[in-house]
Parts: sequence; structure tokens; C-alpha cells
Amino acid sequence: MAACAKGLDKCMFSLRLLRNPRLQNERFISTSLCRLAPAYNSEEPPKFTPPPKPVIIDKTQTVASLRKFLSPEFIPPRQRTDPFKFSIERKDMIRRRKVLNIPEFYAGSILAVTMADPNASGKMNRFVGICIQRGGKGLGATCVLRNIIDNQGVEICYELYSPRIQKIDVLKLEKRLDDNLMYLRDALNEYSSVDPDMKPVPFSPTGEVPFNKMKVRMRPKPWSKRWERPKFNIQGIRFDLSLTPEKMEHAQKWAQPWLEYDMLKEYDTSKLEEQIFREFQQEMSK
Amino acid sequence: MASWSCRFLLQRGTRIFSLRTAAESPAHVAACIRTVKTTTWFDEHLTEDNQEYMRKSTAQEYRRQTADKLNPLKDEPWQRQEWTQGSRRVGLVAVKLGMAPIWTKTGERHVATMLQVQDCHVIKHLSKEEYDGHTAALLVGGKNVSPFHRSEEQMEMFRNAGVPPKHKVTTFKVSDNALIKPGTPLYAAHFRPGQYVDITAKSIGKGFQGVMKRYGFKGQPATHGQTKTHRRPGASGPGGDPAKVFKGKKMPGMMGNIFVTEYGLKIWRVNTKYNVLYVNGSVPGHKNCVLKIRDTVLPNRSSTLLSPPFPTYFTEEEGDLDEDLYDDNLFIHTDPSLTLT
Repeated sequence: MAACAKGLDKCMFSLRLLRNPRLQNERFISTSLCRLAPAYNSEEPPKFTPPPKPVIIDKTQTVASLRKFLSPEFIPPRQRTDPFKFSIERKDMIRRRKVLNIPEFYAGSILAVTMADPNASGKMNRFVGICIQRGGKGLGATCVLRNIIDNQGVEICYELYSPRIQKIDVLKLEKRLDDNLMYLRDALNEYSSVDPDMKPVPFSPTGEVPFNKMKVRMRPKPWSKRWERPKFNIQGIRFDLSLTPEKMEHAQKWAQPWLEYDMLKEYDTSKLEEQIFREFQQEMSK
Repeated sequence: MASWSCRFLLQRGTRIFSLRTAAESPAHVAACIRTVKTTTWFDEHLTEDNQEYMRKSTAQEYRRQTADKLNPLKDEPWQRQEWTQGSRRVGLVAVKLGMAPIWTKTGERHVATMLQVQDCHVIKHLSKEEYDGHTAALLVGGKNVSPFHRSEEQMEMFRNAGVPPKHKVTTFKVSDNALIKPGTPLYAAHFRPGQYVDITAKSIGKGFQGVMKRYGFKGQPATHGQTKTHRRPGASGPGGDPAKVFKGKKMPGMMGNIFVTEYGLKIWRVNTKYNVLYVNGSVPGHKNCVLKIRDTVLPNRSSTLLSPPFPTYFTEEEGDLDEDLYDDNLFIHTDPSLTLT
């Protein structure tokens, strides 16, 4: 009973440590307090009990996510293709996922992708960058990583199911205000520069994904696209710094507010998603 | 199909004859009445319940028929012969599913088209005399359809073979040693990974197009004093001497919607469970179109056709095929990641 209580105590202590936000991003050793066994009789000298072994929590290791997450490439696009085509493609995707762990990530997360490259020294190339876009459906799914290297913006589009990919690490899991961060090309360099030797930031495997509400400052115009136009619906740009209110007003000329009421364009994937997720879990646990 | 015609009646004349009826029904009714009746629609004298019952029962019947036909070798197949150099096998009728990426063992990415072989059966054998006097031919059909919109001659042909009616029936010229009994099912394993095929299908129709889109003419500049001349064909030939436009001059017209053959496409992978072929590159036709696949006729690809399943693949003979047959160079998704040197 006492041992059990002690174990529980230890567990609670390590849990408290886990929750401690200051000590993120470093490797440390926590030792639970050395306690003596409770003395039953006051006359006898207390029995010696060896101090418990230190509990080592390695925070550099990333944990597999436990929250319900289905990669967006599993959901078939809305078209007249036979659904059988997508189901047979999903089988291949699951086969590949059993060999290569493709973790949960979003646009805005920081990833490190290791890829076999015949032209690189050591035949291996590791690139760290911020994911600015996830694209493609089925086996052709891609993600674009962006980083600033020697003051030069570099973007690499990775095919997630390519056999050349060795490892995908999530260094920092977070969501941003937008699902597509292509506007980082026109933003100041500081927003897309990531340290190539970055240590992974631990994240909780359950609960909500951290949400980064940062808004970026842009370089002066012209931009690669007119991000202020309503069709992009960008939330993550400080437009007030680069555009006058008149210009923002002018951009609303291209708004198509009636489109959201177009019932023919509705594509409700919630049922489909649930079904595919169940199939995915079944296959992965086999 | 028996001819029938319609008479279009505008029931306006009733007003002239009887003012009372016109007052009762002021709306003018336009109606279409069949006047010559030599045939009937299958559902013309059926209630809706009966129609539904007919559709369901025939579908069930055809499914059973297709399942029964899975063992063709049981009822005395025709004389089988050995494969020899220069013999031509029958082909398949397949449905285009869509495209997907594939990777080779050297890490290169290719795109492949997925084709599914659905209920493909041999329908009829045409002997040399019946066909063209040079070669024998086999009619092959694919993809079961409803029997209610087929003519009696077509249905007769399917009934003789003992198979459900098919969406598409095509002719394959075959050599005399590759004849197959009508009613035999054909599978995707008829083709093996590594061999090359030709695929014929009707291309996507583009409608009436100008010469720039249809033949890739250059057109004229947008500016520099052009008047009403930007996408026009320009001159159509020399003037005085021939004093005519030569036949076959490329001009605007209907584009697409013609039969196109792609030659020499490699087969990367065959799924024998679902009868899916992975063919290199793109093939003509839209998604879900029905197309015709045969062994390639290209002379320098004939070496890939050595000792194929002949005259076709029978499930009883090599029933222990793997679910997936891969080309030697193809990356299999269960393998570990590639390390390139």
C-alpha cells in the first residue's frame, strides 16, 4: 500500500514536471524526493529503504500524437471519379505509412524532412523549414517547406509518399491563422527563417493543437499576389501597416459574398471523413 | 430499331370547336403522341413497382450469370494450342479509373493510369471467312449494362454467349491458335507487368475549334496594327498556279471525339484481386470511359511479349497468383525507404 502510494506520488510529481512550461526544450533529470519508509514503531530504528531510482524524462523525443487526426489527403476531392479508385489508392497509402511514419502537422508547423539525394554529400539531405502549404490528394500528396538560407528564400516541395523520403520530424507543432501561408514569400524574412539545427519543441499528444495567432508584416508592394483581395481571405497579414484603408476598401470590389450561399458548391466531408478514419485505424492496427 | 414517329399537337384548335371546353381549361397543352407503334418501351405498360422489380431481378440474374461463368474450363474448352512467334492474342475492354503516381526503385516518379477490367467476356468468334478473309476475329465486351435498351439482334448475340449485355463490344483480330470459346471471362492478369500495350479510346470532345487550338497554328500578333486578325489561319495556299486549295488543308472544325490509339504503353503493375492495370502515362478518353487494350504492335517492343498467358489467363491454371504483380523496377510500398547511391 505504501509502495503504491509512493508510486502514485512519483507519477504525480513527474506529471507536474511535464506541465511545467518553463522547462521546455531541455533535457533534465528529475529525482523524486528521497523518503524513508514510515516508522511503525517509535522504538525501533527505521528500516533503511534505498532511494528510488531517478526518473529520466527525455523531452527531446517527440511523442506520437493521440488525438483524432486524419491527413487531408485521405479525403477524396469532389468529382465524378469512381470511389473505388480512391479506396485502392488509400490501401497503398496505408502500406507506405506502416513503413514511414508521417506525423500530424499543419500549415505553419516546423518540419524536418530527411530525403535520399544522390547528389548530396552522404547521399542524404535534411531540410528544416516551415510548412507553408499542403497539397494534393491520395498518393500524390505534397507539402511545401520554406526557409531562409544565406538570406535567400528556399522552398522545397516534398511528395509525402515518395520512397526517397526517409524521415519526417515535426519540430514544432502549431496552427496558424490561415491554411495556406504562401504570403510568407512577400513577408519579411524573419517570419520564414528557421534555425536548421533547431531542437524539437515538445508538445502534448492530446488536447488542442497550439494555435499561433501571429500576424506578419509584409515587404512593400508589389507582392506576388494581391493578398488583400477577398478570394484569398487572409487573416495573418497586418494589412494596416502596408495598405491604406482606402485601398482595403477598394479591394472589396472583387468580393463575391453570394458564393457562400451557393448550395451546389457545398461539400460536406464529415461523414466521409469519419468512415475513412475508421478504416484507416483498422488497417493501421493490423 | 423499329422506326416510330411523333406527332406534335398543339391543342389550341379545341377552342375553335367548342368554346365551353376552352373556358373549362384555359391553359394550352402541348403534347407529344406516338403514332407509329411497332415496338414498345420495356416499361410502357408496367407500373412503377413492376419496373423496379424487373430492374432488380435482371440485375441479380446477371450477377449470378457472371459469377457462374468464372470457371470456363469446366465445359469442354476449345482446343488449346501453344504460343508461337507472331501469334496474336485477344485483348481486353477496360474502364478508365483515373491517374496515380508510382515510383521506381531508382526513386524516379512516373504517373500511371489505372484501368479496371469489369466483367470482360468473349462474346463471339468470327471465322476467317466471316470476318475479312485474312484473319479470324473475336468479339469482346466489357462492363455489364441494362438489357432494356438493346436491340433484339444485340441481345441475341449476348444470349448465345450466355453473358449479360455489355456496354462496349469490340473486335480483336487474333491468330488461329489464339481462339477462345465465347463466354470465357477475361481478367487483368491477361497482361503481365513489363509488357507493352496499345490502348484505343474515344478522345475527349472539344467541339468546333479554331486552328490555333486544333492544329497549334501560331496565329497573328495581338498588336502592331492588326485589324480583326489574331487567331485566324492566314493564307490557305499558293495563288495563281494551282489556283485551288489543296485537299486536307488544316482548317477550323470539330476537335476530339474521335478514336485515338496510344502505342507502346508499359504495364507497371497488375492487381489480380480487383483486376486493375497500372499503365504508364496517359491514355485517351475521359474518366470512366470504356477503352480497348491489346498487345502492342510496335516491332521493337515485341520482345516483351515472349510466352504470355496463352490464349488468355485461366483462373484454374494459375490460381495462386499474388494479389499484386509488380514490374521489376517498380517500388513496392511495403519496402523500406530507398537509399540512393
